[in-house]
Amino acid sequence: MRETAILPWQRLKTDIQRRLRGRGALPWLVPVLILAIWQIAVQAGWLSTRILPTPWAVVTAGWRLLLSGELLEHLGASTARAASGFVIGGGIGFFFGLINGGYRLAENLFDTTLQMVRNVPHLALIPLVILWFGIGEEGKLFLVALGVFFPVYLNTFHGIRSVPPDLIEMGRSYGLRGWALFRQVILPGALPNILVGVRYALGFTWLTLIVAETISATSGIGYMAMNAREFLQTDIVVLAILLYAALGKAADMVARALERRWLRWNKSFLAA
Amino acid sequence: MGIRDKGLEIRLGAVQRRFGERIVIDNLTTRFAAGEFIAIVGRSGCGKSTLLRLLAGLDAAQGGQLDADGRPLKETIDDVRIMYQDARLLPWRSVADNVALGLAGKRDTARALALEALSQVGLADRAGEWPESLSGGQRQRVALARALVHRPRLLLLDEPLGALDALTRIEMHRLIERIWREHRFTAVLVTHDVSEAVVLADRILLIEDGRIALDQTIELARPRARGDAAFARLEGQVLERLLTVRALEQRNQIRGRVSAIRTDEVLAEIEVEITGQEGRHDKVVSTLTVRNLHEHALEVGSEVLAVFKSNAVALALVDGGVPDKTAKRATAKARAVA
Repeated sequence: MRETAILPWQRLKTDIQRRLRGRGALPWLVPVLILAIWQIAVQAGWLSTRILPTPWAVVTAGWRLLLSGELLEHLGASTARAASGFVIGGGIGFFFGLINGGYRLAENLFDTTLQMVRNVPHLALIPLVILWFGIGEEGKLFLVALGVFFPVYLNTFHGIRSVPPDLIEMGRSYGLRGWALFRQVILPGALPNILVGVRYALGFTWLTLIVAETISATSGIGYMAMNAREFLQTDIVVLAILLYAALGKAADMVARALERRWLRWNKSFLAA
Repeated sequence: MGIRDKGLEIRLGAVQRRFGERIVIDNLTTRFAAGEFIAIVGRSGCGKSTLLRLLAGLDAAQGGQLDADGRPLKETIDDVRIMYQDARLLPWRSVADNVALGLAGKRDTARALALEALSQVGLADRAGEWPESLSGGQRQRVALARALVHRPRLLLLDEPLGALDALTRIEMHRLIERIWREHRFTAVLVTHDVSEAVVLADRILLIEDGRIALDQTIELARPRARGDAAFARLEGQVLERLLTVRALEQRNQIRGRVSAIRTDEVLAEIEVEITGQEGRHDKVVSTLTVRNLHEHALEVGSEVLAVFKSNAVALALVDGGVPDKTAKRATAKARAVA
């Protein structure tokens, strides 16, 4: 009967203590502290609002843009570019990873070429891309697709190669051929590596997009940031930076959710 | 129960398989009767696993014929299933889905067949789990179920119990024997464990250098008891034969005397002193397992013959000294015989 006697505030206190003792709240302590110091520093005038707005100002700017509909419009434009570039580049990378991983002939034919192209930093192509495509959508898609291509290609290739030959031999001797062998043995065996490639590629997607949108765009988060810069709206610039971070994190979470779903059988992925 | 359920009759006629210069299967001719349980024993590298891979269609012979029921074995390859040394289960499929691998037809029927096969090996209750959660013995039982679900007429067993502990092995022997008696398929078991061969087989083939060195019929009543005198005698006979190195070739033999025996927990080193023509004292060291040493009854002072495979002899020029044609250095394992 003694448990029922515990007062609500006592329960709250033990809850907080437990959270602090476990990992619960502790990792958030430092970020919260930094935000607090930041807010105080700007409010007290130690830091000019030209350099950094207060965190609160960033939040209100976000709210304002959300209400006006601008935020969603730019967010939508950026997400659409990221998604289509990712699908195109990832799709081509996946295709080449599959055929080069699966067939020696294809590897001999394409791999050296692809490895040479890989050594060109894709962002170095920007001047050329602007010459080719102008400042329209195509150039940005091209850059994103190129950035996404290599991580997906390399990891798919490696994944296919690292499927244990014992399992493939077993599959064959149990009557699996062609598509059935690929779908039931090779692809699931390569999947852990492919998903690693997807996660890397998502990182590249946003990185490329940031650069491409700040150089030439009429919509998107990068455009929003550049526009704000012209009018010295540091709050919106910081908001744009944080939005990129949030989008990157969201994409990573999607990839990890896929890993958890598709790699349930693999203990090392369950732990991650 | 139609003809489909009978074991395949296998005929091997002058089968040959080479890897480069090395002949692994050398004009091998034999016949496995339908429903017979064959055990193939031999030292590692004698060609027994290659023979099994030929039967499984995983490797092609370079000469001779492999027939099943009077037709080329290739045409009946769907009636052949193999169990490997490791279970080779797909880690991304549940136990039941692993067993259903390669089954044609509807998913529901395949699953029902898989569950039936799993219950035969006593694992129906683990159907929904991942292979990772099973023990080594259970994985091999799943692999057995996966082979059985196809109703094979020839089941090949490539040392499937080699990695299991002694107790689990005995259980597996009983399971395999029971299932073989029920299904009447032809079974070919490759093993290095002679007692396993004597427990299970109707006939033991001893392979040496790609040839059949001994073809021993086992006529003990089943189930066979290991403690039995006749069992022990047969096991002893086959072991004895296995341990005897045939004087393969007159070359690569050196006579000498055991000068020292050093042992640790697993391995033993036997030093053999060779007295050369000019009074030189050369040494040859043979490394073998302690268990093997006890079977040989070697002691310091025993007169022995060291036998080398020619591919295990490395030659080095004796620089500076008198040219000595007998200077040899054996770098790899040498086998000593009392």
